[in-house]
Amino acid sequence: MSTKTPTSFEEMDCAFPSSLAEALDLMADESTRGRPLAGGTDLMVQWESGVVNRPERSISVKGLPELMGISEAGDELVIGSGVTHMQLRSSDLVQKHVPSLAEAATTVGGFQIQTMGTVGGSVANASPAGDLAPSLLITEGRVVVANREREREIPVTEFWQGYRKIDLQPDELIIRFHLPKKSAESREYWRKLGPRRAQAISKVMGSCRGQVLDGQIQSFRVAIGSVAATCVRLTGIEEWLLNRPLNESTLAEVEKRVTEEVQPIDDIRSTADYRRWVTGRMVRGFLENWLEPA
Amino acid sequence: MKIKRTWIINGEKLEAEVPPMRRFLDVLREDLQLKGTKEGCGEGECGACTVIVNGETVLSCLLAAGQVPDGATVTTVEGLEKTLGGKVLQAAYIEKGAAQCGFCIPGMIVSSYALLSRNPTTDAAQIREAHAGNICRCTGYDKIVEAIQSAAEQWPVEAKG
Repeated sequence: MSTKTPTSFEEMDCAFPSSLAEALDLMADESTRGRPLAGGTDLMVQWESGVVNRPERSISVKGLPELMGISEAGDELVIGSGVTHMQLRSSDLVQKHVPSLAEAATTVGGFQIQTMGTVGGSVANASPAGDLAPSLLITEGRVVVANREREREIPVTEFWQGYRKIDLQPDELIIRFHLPKKSAESREYWRKLGPRRAQAISKVMGSCRGQVLDGQIQSFRVAIGSVAATCVRLTGIEEWLLNRPLNESTLAEVEKRVTEEVQPIDDIRSTADYRRWVTGRMVRGFLENWLEPA
Repeated sequence: MKIKRTWIINGEKLEAEVPPMRRFLDVLREDLQLKGTKEGCGEGECGACTVIVNGETVLSCLLAAGQVPDGATVTTVEGLEKTLGGKVLQAAYIEKGAAQCGFCIPGMIVSSYALLSRNPTTDAAQIREAHAGNICRCTGYDKIVEAIQSAAEQWPVEAKG
């Protein structure tokens, strides 16, 4: 086997397994292993631009039946890694039980990207600007990965280990996500800030899940993307908010605390200063939603 | 290495043998000489390369040929001329002055056809959302939206076949 890096798409090899078992068999052996390829909306761009070297071989997992489908299992939603953004946003189950995830999916690219891109691909790409990450984090759900021998579960909060670094072994594939549903009394919100509503990568975006009873914050989880090397939960803020009254003094204080807690950077899409300011506004805005009827 | 695929492209059965990772855009434009589909940005931003695979719009510049499944039905802008809906859309785009330089139009009108085939809506917000992945730098979109609304009003002709 040669080891040269292909310089064109035509020089790249790709396997098209027809079942998950077949795909995991290919991944198990170094001589048949390849870069898993789902919808291609990130990888095809990275390979073409040279940001990432083209692998000699890919394994297409697109449309594998075992990776499709959205179902309920008790208090959880089970979402296959091959589910597309379009399927996520169109799913009654997702709209009802993890509504911020359905909403986030509507803001990924345009229709074409949404019909191609998958939840597993987005998670594996591990961009801090990945739009689905905040809603996955606030569920405190689990990622299920597998190799040929066994499955392994990882809390979503531990899956992104650093900038574009995930807890996945070379012989493993991402199989599905188990996401605890929001309770009937809780609400979720999603917000994305970018230069344009569609086809734009976020400057800052985030999701929250919380519950307010008689003007007092009972629970609140919030995750923000594009302000650190990975999407982050603002746990210090969450703890500070617990049992506080939802009033102007809390809102003003939380906005200030958020700008102190996040540590974004300057990059091509925005500046650290703007991101810090806007994240404070965003978290404040999330909480203001509870001042209105659901 | 090459893989074999049988596709129905614009109503015609085609047996292809292509490198698996060759961009579907290049298969269409170079191998099949279907040059209506355009390459704008080549990185999934502009929508000029939009085609329909099994009823859904996709970006052919980000699509590996091998990932177009065996037996898939593919519609490119050339295929629209063969359909009543495509003719209605073409006439409406012309009547409303929806095309200026024209480069985005093959992708744009393919998105229009996919939307109206699924949902012949005249709702401007729905139309704009379904075309948000198609960038036009000339028209400001208003005339495009008007053309699609006009085509939607005439759309039952397609439903009748």
